[in-house]
Amino acid sequence: MDECKVIIMGFGSVGQGVADALSMKKDLIKDKTGVSVKIVAAADSSSSAISQDGLDEELLVKTKKEEGKLSAYPEFGSEKCGVDVLDAVEYDCLIEATPTNIVDAEPALSLTFKAFEQGKDVVTSNKGHLALKFREVIGAAEKAGVEFMYEASVGGSMPIINFAKDTLASCSIESVKGILNGTTNYILSRMTSEGSDYEVILKESQELGIAETDPTQDVEGIDAACKTVILANSLLGIDATYSDVKVVGISNINSHAIELAKKDDYLIKLIAEVSHDNLQVSPRLVKRGSSYDVSGTLNMATIKTDLADEVSVIGLGAGSLETASAMLTDLISILKNKN
Amino acid sequence: MRINLVLELLDVPGQLVKILEPISMLGANLITIIHKRDYKSDNGKVPVQLTLEGEQESLKKVVNRFEELGFTIIEMDGVIKKEKITTILFGHIVDQDLKDTMDRINDLESANIVGFDIKLDGEEKSTALINIEADVGNKQIVFDRIEEIAGEKNLLVINEV
Repeated sequence: MDECKVIIMGFGSVGQGVADALSMKKDLIKDKTGVSVKIVAAADSSSSAISQDGLDEELLVKTKKEEGKLSAYPEFGSEKCGVDVLDAVEYDCLIEATPTNIVDAEPALSLTFKAFEQGKDVVTSNKGHLALKFREVIGAAEKAGVEFMYEASVGGSMPIINFAKDTLASCSIESVKGILNGTTNYILSRMTSEGSDYEVILKESQELGIAETDPTQDVEGIDAACKTVILANSLLGIDATYSDVKVVGISNINSHAIELAKKDDYLIKLIAEVSHDNLQVSPRLVKRGSSYDVSGTLNMATIKTDLADEVSVIGLGAGSLETASAMLTDLISILKNKN
Repeated sequence: MRINLVLELLDVPGQLVKILEPISMLGANLITIIHKRDYKSDNGKVPVQLTLEGEQESLKKVVNRFEELGFTIIEMDGVIKKEKITTILFGHIVDQDLKDTMDRINDLESANIVGFDIKLDGEEKSTALINIEADVGNKQIVFDRIEEIAGEKNLLVINEV
């Protein structure tokens, strides 16, 4: 294989990040794997740009940013969207970056299954289908004999899934505990440093674009719970789904609680716990200066293993290029396996 | 190497023999033993002071065996072996019978509330920080009790990681 044709489905922050990162790292990928990566299609929720000869990464991002939709891409703009894009062009790997949907996992689920049916590899940043139907999706990939990688679904740029599976391959993972949501960590960190109330900081976070207009998925722990399910399945082999996680968010945390915790040298963090007897996302007390003491939008995780004891990782849990970095890493490992 | 231990034994016949057995069996030597039955701790147990000598590995095994047998090690080399547990509760703590909440934690054989701090917010929900001292290894029992109370009284619990 000396060329890999990719389709990017979903062209929001993550999809654009992948295009940007590809334009920056094309040469590096070629050096590392001997394969040139070419974007043959990119699609947003209502349109796409498709060309068998390849699209220009920077022009894709520019078109989306300036015109709002990919159909405005010069010459190769198209009204095709959704699964139809996968039939419109020949490709090798689907880069699936559509928004997470925790109700029915669409459109990620249909796109992923379609790519598997077509015998294509898939790299995803999506959590919905993994949180709801992990076994089914993994099973379908195995049956189709294709590669399916999802590092970007947990912790953005923070290495955890491949890290635990490959780098800690000699160890059994006993538990993972960590901060898997950057927005809530940012809110709690600022409440701690400023002594302000939850509502005030939430509003400011929304203005800064750190929290979404509808912050429910983050502040009620739903996002972290999805990641809990993914880690439970992929690292601990627990056949769990979203409804198996006990979830408590941070919307009830007030400045009194933070103040009381501080007095005893504790911080309050939204902690996801993944172990054989506990799948839980809840506000917890962590010792100041411990490995859980990371602030801002950072994510962290402490992986407890049988041989290596505890290993901790820290990294930026969200962001366009940060998440794209994890997806490109997945793509590179697929390319390395092929050659 | 040597270690100094203080164990707590139930005041019933046969307890002292039980602690002596594992010492020789696991390759440690008994240097000193002080057992004063006329002195009892607050919970009615009898403390026994031991000094043991042996390889680090053997001493570790002896300590583990003591714990398996259910003896509480309250001190090891001068270090108190009680764990401190901190938890925060949020909700209608006072209205939901605060005394009952505290009694039910104190009722646990292995735990005592040693600190309590509460922030009241008028008629709104209040926030309390509770410090509990528990025998090492009993953390989960304390957490379970707190969860049980919180579930009944609809309180949010913020436990330690």
